[in-house]
Amino acid sequence: MWHCHITAEGRMTTQTAIFRIDGVTKSYGGVKALDSVTLEAGVNEYLSLLGPSGSGKTTLLRVIAGFEVPDSGRVFFQGRDITNLPAHERGIGFVFQNFALFPHLTVRQNIAFGMANGAVLVSSEETAHRTQTIIDMVGLTGMEDRGVDQISGGQRQRVALARTLVMQPKLVLLDEPLGALDANLRGRMRNELRAIRERMGVTFLHVTGSETEALAMGDSVVVLDRGRIIQRGAPDDVYSTPASPDVAHFLNRFNMFEGTLSGGTFTGAFGSVVAAKVTRAPRDVYAIRYDRLRVSPLSASATGPGLKATYIANEYLGSSVMNFFETADGKVVEVEHHLSLGAPETFEPRQDYLLTWAPEQAIVFGREGK
Amino acid sequence: MSDATVAAKRQGPSWLILPGIVWMALFMVVPIAMICYVSFWTQTTFNISSTPTLASWKQFFSSDTYTGALWTTVRIWLIVLATTFIIGYPTALFVGLFVKSKTLSTVLLVVCVIPFWTSFLIRVLAWRPMLGKEGAINIILLKLHIISQPIEVLLFTELSVIIGMTQIYCVFMVGPIAFMLGRIDRNIIEAARDLGAGFGRIFWKIIFPLSLPGVVVGAIFVSVMGLGEFATSGALSGRKVNLLGNIIVTQVGSLKWAMASVTGVILTVFMGMVIAAFLRIVDLKQEL
Repeated sequence: MWHCHITAEGRMTTQTAIFRIDGVTKSYGGVKALDSVTLEAGVNEYLSLLGPSGSGKTTLLRVIAGFEVPDSGRVFFQGRDITNLPAHERGIGFVFQNFALFPHLTVRQNIAFGMANGAVLVSSEETAHRTQTIIDMVGLTGMEDRGVDQISGGQRQRVALARTLVMQPKLVLLDEPLGALDANLRGRMRNELRAIRERMGVTFLHVTGSETEALAMGDSVVVLDRGRIIQRGAPDDVYSTPASPDVAHFLNRFNMFEGTLSGGTFTGAFGSVVAAKVTRAPRDVYAIRYDRLRVSPLSASATGPGLKATYIANEYLGSSVMNFFETADGKVVEVEHHLSLGAPETFEPRQDYLLTWAPEQAIVFGREGK
Repeated sequence: MSDATVAAKRQGPSWLILPGIVWMALFMVVPIAMICYVSFWTQTTFNISSTPTLASWKQFFSSDTYTGALWTTVRIWLIVLATTFIIGYPTALFVGLFVKSKTLSTVLLVVCVIPFWTSFLIRVLAWRPMLGKEGAINIILLKLHIISQPIEVLLFTELSVIIGMTQIYCVFMVGPIAFMLGRIDRNIIEAARDLGAGFGRIFWKIIFPLSLPGVVVGAIFVSVMGLGEFATSGALSGRKVNLLGNIIVTQVGSLKWAMASVTGVILTVFMGMVIAAFLRIVDLKQEL
């Protein structure tokens, strides 16, 4: 049982953490896949791990699961140091990107595998009961005796999930489990994962390369880049206040302008703008969210900063329209128009427009920042 | 278009199958039909006539030499099948599964094939200076004072035939098994570990069943070559071990065509039964 220790400041101490990794470093042939990563997650928390490919997110999961031994650092699970414990004795669930189902076994045999062959002995009646319960829960009733090559991708994904969840792990690692599914199924699986978690009280650590998935699913989003955690926070915090230009870049929602920050004024392709608040970063970058830009005709008198750009094309995204503009120095600027705000304006291709924004909505990164 | 024409279109021009049919007819169906036919011919000491008779068949099953050769063949085949499996499976496990680099695993497989760059006869005869009374093995064991008298059962016995055949056919067991093991998705093994299974469990429940088609293909290779074997037993047994293959060679050598045919038919039928039995273990069509 877990005891929640709440300190005087109201912060939970590490004792409530279901798992904790401490200064974990892992290199492959001189390249650091993980660079002294420290991370912990609480009981029943859903943690999204966002990062580009090669950022070390899969390595991180493999270290926690026990498939890789870290070069240095410790891994703790349920208060125990498990750094040197073999994978099959850890009791941590892992759902693979390609599902890794046992191809020669049926759906039922796949799901019962852990109970029939695991370290903890489970009676055959209980195995049968738990298998049937989880099959009903993930909606695979009637498929029990099919081979895993006779079911659809979404069903295979559910077998993979059921196979892991039936072991009742306290921590489940998901390695881009929705990547192999089409958008429709992905949405449904997201809801199912959320429901399963509410029912079973499991901590999930979900690795994904998709920023929308990370923001949608996590209680907390961890952004990983080149083996380091560069930001951790609630999805809305990460989204509205990315900690660095790299985070803003991975969120894929910002137009980023290079320039120089000097004395609180950012000078870029759009001229000089006073930066109200500057986030400390190793380079000077001016970021404006796609949906914060306004398009006006060139003749319009701008009250704030403005950038001249040529309209190229647009993309219809269902709930919004993405307009693409090109600046004089060849940079593509994206402007998102939410259709809930009214019908989109139409722009003439190859025509110049003025892009404007409210300076307080821009996020400024720079060496001058705090 | 009717279904039949659609099917015909999909299969392409049917005359492409003709060379295959001609080849199989000329070199398989006709010869087998011929030996079946000749096995019923009447054989006299210096002559053979096509008068049908069961004499050769009766002679085969009433003579201890011939039935003895049949049982020796079956015994040696089973022993060699077991030894090639016992030596070949762990080797394949290492090459196909434990070696992580694909390049290294290919290199190791090629190393297994290197002995085949020499001729069959040389490979067999090379065992003589190894196994002989004054051969390499006895010299080493004497020098190390492990034995005081040379071991004489090493050469010109059933043992030497088994050693020779195991060495030659082992690679045919290693290859297919290593191929199947190499195709196993490593994530599957990790998934099994993650579900709490130790190595023993993973081996018996996941790795071995998935490698079974390789074992069957390897066993078929070893069986077909081992059952028809005559050179190894001829060269390494000092004519003490007679296999059905040796019987055929001597009978043909002394122009006893009818008896050679009887032995050939029995050998062919037995091989057919062995292959059919192996194919019942796994559905190769589905697995490969």
